[in-house]
Amino acid sequence: MTDKQQDSDGLEAFFDAARNTAPDPDAAFMARILDDALSVQGEAVAPPRPATKRDGFFSQILRGIGGWPALTGLAAATVAGVWIGLNPPAAVSDQLASLIGTSSATTDATDSDWLLDPLTEYDIAMTGG
Amino acid sequence: MPFDAMSEVSDDALLVLYANGDAAAARALTTRLTPKVLGHAYRMLGDRAEAEDVAQEAMLRLWRIAAEWRQGEAKVTTWLYRVVANLCTDRLRKRRSVDIDSVPEPEDPAIGAEQGLQQVARAEALQTALDSLPERQREAVVLRHIEGLGNPEIAEIMDISPRAVESLTARGKRALAEVLAGRREELGYQDD
Repeated sequence: MTDKQQDSDGLEAFFDAARNTAPDPDAAFMARILDDALSVQGEAVAPPRPATKRDGFFSQILRGIGGWPALTGLAAATVAGVWIGLNPPAAVSDQLASLIGTSSATTDATDSDWLLDPLTEYDIAMTGG
Repeated sequence: MPFDAMSEVSDDALLVLYANGDAAAARALTTRLTPKVLGHAYRMLGDRAEAEDVAQEAMLRLWRIAAEWRQGEAKVTTWLYRVVANLCTDRLRKRRSVDIDSVPEPEDPAIGAEQGLQQVARAEALQTALDSLPERQREAVVLRHIEGLGNPEIAEIMDISPRAVESLTARGKRALAEVLAGRREELGYQDD
């Protein structure tokens, strides 16, 4: 690599001298380099964790009930409840009326019994048959 | 992995180990690469203190890039030589813009007692001659004839073609020979 065979200009002895007198890094300098290496390595291997922000009240509630999917289920149930309240099916309103004691005079007890215990007639049929 | 076991491990494999938190890899890379980086910086700048600053900065950049290093794509030393060359170019540019007379005289590098004064004198003469070359010629000559790299690697470091490397080293050597011609006798070259 050093072209000794082509040393027509007589420079090879100068290059040899330069190689033989290469500046040696002293111990203090080597220690400085190694300090750098270890401190960069320490930073890279264990990067400081960024401070995490504490969750707010709403976020904690949301996480407590199971996150957004649970919230959509809850919202659907609420809407259904409101809808039934505003526009109840006839059977529900009759049953509710009997429960709270505001049934009309034309409605007798046997009319609504089948709603309370749909098995009753079946039971009778079974005992009769 | 014990330190001794790392002498056979390639530079880029060591760098991956380093990125994974292996302290022995940090020590092995420091021991292996720092002398090369410092030597190259010294030959480019001719000043020990500045060369140490550049070497430290280049090594720091290596530590920082370790986690993103893609094994097998480039040689670690090629990357380092390029970083050193860029840092040296910045320093030389600042030097020129500040004061042309502030270029330091080559210093006596730390050498063992067994190395003769004549070797030191020759190395100093070469360093002075190198300092007088244009930066790109100096870089090519140092990489080729002192660091002992091949033209393809130098081409990669300097981001030029291998033919351009040949041209730079040839012109650089011619200029060095001219500068050093007058000092051959003084430096103990009677025969060649």
